Amino acid sequence: MAFTSLTFVLLVLATVTLYYLLPRRFQWLLLLAASMVFYLSGGGRTVIWLLAVAAVTWGCGLALQRLNDQRKGADKARQNQLKAAKKRVAALGAVLCFGLLYAMKYWNFTLELLPTPVAARLPRWDFLMPLGLSFFTFQAVGYVVDVYRGKAAQNNPVKYLLFVSFFPQMIQGPIGRYDALAPQLLAPKELSWQNLQYGIQLAMWGYFKKLVIADRAAVLVDTVIRDNCPYGGAVIAVGIFFYCVQLYCDFSGGIDIARGVAQMLGITMAENFRRPLFATSLADYWRRWHISLGQWMRDYLFYPLSLSKPFGRLGKWARRHIGGLGGKIFATSLATFIIYLVIGVWHGSSLKYIVYGLWNGTIITSSLLLERRFQSWKDALHIDGGSLGWRIVMTVRTCFLVFLGRYLTRAPRLLTAGSLLVATFTRPVFSQLTDGTLLSLGLTGGDFLLLGLAAAVLVTVEFYQERGGHVRETLARQRPLVQWLAIVVPLLVIVAFGVFRTGYISSAFIYGQF
Amino acid sequence: MREQVISILSELCPGVDFEHETALIDDGLVDSLDIVSIVSELMDTFEVEISVEDLQPENFNSVDAIVKLIQAAQG
Amino acid sequence: MQAKKWVILFAATALALVLALAAFNYVTDPFGAFGDPVFQWFSYDETNNPRVAKTSWLEQHHQDYDSYIIGCSSTSSFPTEALNELYDASFYNLIMYDADMLDCEKLTAYLLEHYEVKNIILNVYLDNGMTYDEESNRLTKNLHYLVDPDISALSHYSRYLLADFRYGLAKLQALGEDTLLPQDFDVFDEVTGTYDKRVRDAEPIGSVEEYLTAYPVFADYPQSGPLSLGQTENCMKSVAAIRDMCAAAGVNLTVVAGPVYRDYFDNFDLDAVIAFYDALAQVTPFWDFSCSSVSREMRYFYDATHFRNNVGEMMAARMAGRTDLWIPEDFGAYVTAETAAQHVAQGLEAQALPQAEIEAQAPILMYHNLAEEAAAETDLTAAQFEAQIQALSEAGYTSISFDELMAYVYEGADLPEKPVMITFDDGYSSNYTLAYPILAKYQMKATIFAIGVSLGKDTYKDTGHEMNPHFSGEEAAEMVASGLISVQSHTYDMHQWPPFETGDGPFRETILPLPGESEEDYVAALTADIQKSRQVLEDATGETVDVLAYPSGAYSTLSQWVLEENGIRVTLSTEPGVNTVVRGLPQTLYCMKRFHVDGSVSPADLLGLLTQPTE
Repeated sequence: MAFTSLTFVLLVLATVTLYYLLPRRFQWLLLLAASMVFYLSGGGRTVIWLLAVAAVTWGCGLALQRLNDQRKGADKARQNQLKAAKKRVAALGAVLCFGLLYAMKYWNFTLELLPTPVAARLPRWDFLMPLGLSFFTFQAVGYVVDVYRGKAAQNNPVKYLLFVSFFPQMIQGPIGRYDALAPQLLAPKELSWQNLQYGIQLAMWGYFKKLVIADRAAVLVDTVIRDNCPYGGAVIAVGIFFYCVQLYCDFSGGIDIARGVAQMLGITMAENFRRPLFATSLADYWRRWHISLGQWMRDYLFYPLSLSKPFGRLGKWARRHIGGLGGKIFATSLATFIIYLVIGVWHGSSLKYIVYGLWNGTIITSSLLLERRFQSWKDALHIDGGSLGWRIVMTVRTCFLVFLGRYLTRAPRLLTAGSLLVATFTRPVFSQLTDGTLLSLGLTGGDFLLLGLAAAVLVTVEFYQERGGHVRETLARQRPLVQWLAIVVPLLVIVAFGVFRTGYISSAFIYGQF
Repeated sequence: MREQVISILSELCPGVDFEHETALIDDGLVDSLDIVSIVSELMDTFEVEISVEDLQPENFNSVDAIVKLIQAAQG
Repeated sequence: MQAKKWVILFAATALALVLALAAFNYVTDPFGAFGDPVFQWFSYDETNNPRVAKTSWLEQHHQDYDSYIIGCSSTSSFPTEALNELYDASFYNLIMYDADMLDCEKLTAYLLEHYEVKNIILNVYLDNGMTYDEESNRLTKNLHYLVDPDISALSHYSRYLLADFRYGLAKLQALGEDTLLPQDFDVFDEVTGTYDKRVRDAEPIGSVEEYLTAYPVFADYPQSGPLSLGQTENCMKSVAAIRDMCAAAGVNLTVVAGPVYRDYFDNFDLDAVIAFYDALAQVTPFWDFSCSSVSREMRYFYDATHFRNNVGEMMAARMAGRTDLWIPEDFGAYVTAETAAQHVAQGLEAQALPQAEIEAQAPILMYHNLAEEAAAETDLTAAQFEAQIQALSEAGYTSISFDELMAYVYEGADLPEKPVMITFDDGYSSNYTLAYPILAKYQMKATIFAIGVSLGKDTYKDTGHEMNPHFSGEEAAEMVASGLISVQSHTYDMHQWPPFETGDGPFRETILPLPGESEEDYVAALTADIQKSRQVLEDATGETVDVLAYPSGAYSTLSQWVLEENGIRVTLSTEPGVNTVVRGLPQTLYCMKRFHVDGSVSPADLLGLLTQPTE
């Protein structure tokens, strides 16, 4: 069930209505029921994987809770014993969950990488990928680690299942933290008109980005970016630029819909985007883009990795043998590099995502290592790091780096990404930008105009937010007529230019496959 | 100890007023990479063990909080 | 504004938008999903979704029919009238693009259950072995919920009430552009259910070279193979279900495999093709027209995959055992489980019909007035005419009538080796006084196209101004009685001469519509003129009038169609050239080319014209 389907809208309508009519103590059960309806509507068999992940992590949580309880007041030796047991339990949960994820998402890719004689002997697994597998697996494993680190476990398996399966986050995330999300899911909620209004507005904004911008831009992207692309480099660059727009609007639009729906239910979900357009460095970009994934990686992979004993030893070794700043942050840089590699691979099972991870890791790590040098250059050139001009320079540079990286994620394969990149810089054929080629890519002049206007609205709103403005609060202070127009116009635009759009059936989110 | 901590912090994150700042992490002045560098330095300097569980914003939001964390770790 | 008020306002606005959309879709009903209550424009609706709109049409009109033809798009060329005659029934054609056998099965079940049905004709096409129960567009290619048990009424109504409003807008826009003849947006004939092929069937056809210029697809036939016939088993299960349903209901089922262009088969493994038809024969005997010499002749096909209505007529004639229509000998046979595989295999081996057997060159000469002696404005003197006729005769040309030409095309009668046709336009007295005796002397046949209003006149009707005298009805009758001369139509009064025709109405120089004339007025005027022309000439000579020479050679698709409707089977233009006439294709008799001949053409030049290669 896609966010853009009529059934999803009806499911939300029914859920929200019933939610506030039911006795408060049944509200969370309604959420679970709605989540199951949502999950089962997309062909229900993959629900067993969801249940399996939930069962394993719930069980691990309980076991860890018991061990935690035993540690209190135990002597030192016993404590160490228990700690080892905890490690085993947590590792078991993580291995089982990630094993499933690996089998579903990466096994066939592994076979492709292996030499043919070996691969031929191994079975191919052609399972149907369960919806939202990556999201709920990460969420559930995060829970296990949280309990391992001393947070309280959830004893009630049904309540826990709601945490894993809460439907708005199933398609594109965000990846929620148990202690932030679960209490909200389970708490009784009084009807708040304010939440309803803001939730509806957020969801409308998401639909606008997704249906009007992303799905429209996708038409051009799909025409241009493919194997044996017949276009010149300039048109390819336009294609990748449109892909950047499409990806951001599709993904952040989906998140806005999910968060909007949650807000209607009185639930605040984790933020996943903080206007990545305004990032001043690639590292900053990754702090603003897919935040919940970044935080997950930081809390559950980066910290444990960089504070682990081997990394500690490595750090000491580096400090002794390399010296200077490089030696001091050598171990951290390596951990950072590994994280971005993992994030790359998280996006999909293909060689190009590995290279994508290397690309991000290399740039971020090297900028870390070179930070001091840049600073001295800036000082020598008398550049004011805080000035608006410098910020714009940094922002444009970051956008360009992100843009280059997107060749990798959009091209159907690594080789194509390479040839598209080469084409962009060696044979741009700028004449194709003006000779009508752009209008032969599936979008009309009207579509370009609409995309331009929509993008202008988007950038204006985000700029306002970046400056600390609150759009919905500001809107709520306007005259009633203005507020009503802010209902009618977006609805009409979404329906006329989003829901009904020729030649392209809007269905799956791009991020749904990730 | 307080001065030692401040000197470590200043070296790793120049340009931040650690003396008076009380929301280092919440304000985003110090992010995860710096945290790890800081923790590594602290562990080295004071020969204490700081584990992942201790990496909570409230333990790193101010110099005083960090000092308290080290003292607790020293037992 | 308070949040509560905002939410209520939002809900009301959203609801109003949804209701407005639903109301708009209901009123415009571009898919005929609600019976098109306002516009009743089913030819448009069926173009958007034949499955749904035809079901709605039958809901309203099923009492007009007792028999149904079912199948995919090639079914559109099954001739309703000929089948009505053959079965003494009233057929409705349920052609649906890309119909698979499951569609056909569901539709048959629906028809049998709800309507009184005597006959079902099921067209099985090769593609039915390729696709079965595929996911398709939910607005344009799904069945009506009444027909399809897998679609709920809720789903039907919600999808069409909430459909893209642009479908409805397009319909309103098309409404303003609607014409009598079909356009891209209304390709169905709502009464018979077939594709409305009035435009395509009015298009003149000639030589293979000309056809290839118009339809280059045949020069480079699309080959996307090898395609799989993997759905054969499912398809035949549905055919069997249809067979059993019909048997149970006592309905006469005829299964037909329509003709397929030969190159299309090369997209498949030919053994699989034979197996497909053999599997069909195991379920039911059927009329096999799939492959024969017809499949090798591109002019029998509109495009890569659709055979012409004319071929459909041949099919009906073969099924009826009629012999009054020309049909290639190897075209069509009723096959059984024992004979089907062999028949199809033979058909796949069939060669194209030899050109000499299906087409002939038919040059036509166009004369006007003759004069005794040469003068300034004389076209041609009697002596010059005689020299030309003599040369033709001595060169071995045999003059033929249009009846003979029609017999060749329709019935397959033979033509003499070197046929030529001599025609005179306007109906001048000189045709009778000067040309007729010379023609009689050489026993040459000729056709005179007389303007009805001028018959026996030597002055213009409105002004009384003098004009070249025209022969009378009696003189026409005398010439026709000789068996050499045929007098045919040059319109009754649509060849007016501006300086001398200042009647009440606007004058018509040609058959084309007047500037600003509405289609309805034009068709009415043309129809009245042709009927009067036929009546005047037929009253005078007793000879059927079914040939018309376009005044000044001007014609349009619409005029061609109106003339056909009024019994005109041959039309002549004034473009020079030799015609290629093809057996089984009456369109080769449309807008035929003619060489203009006058005194400046020497007998030798004339013979040269007739042997020049076709362009």
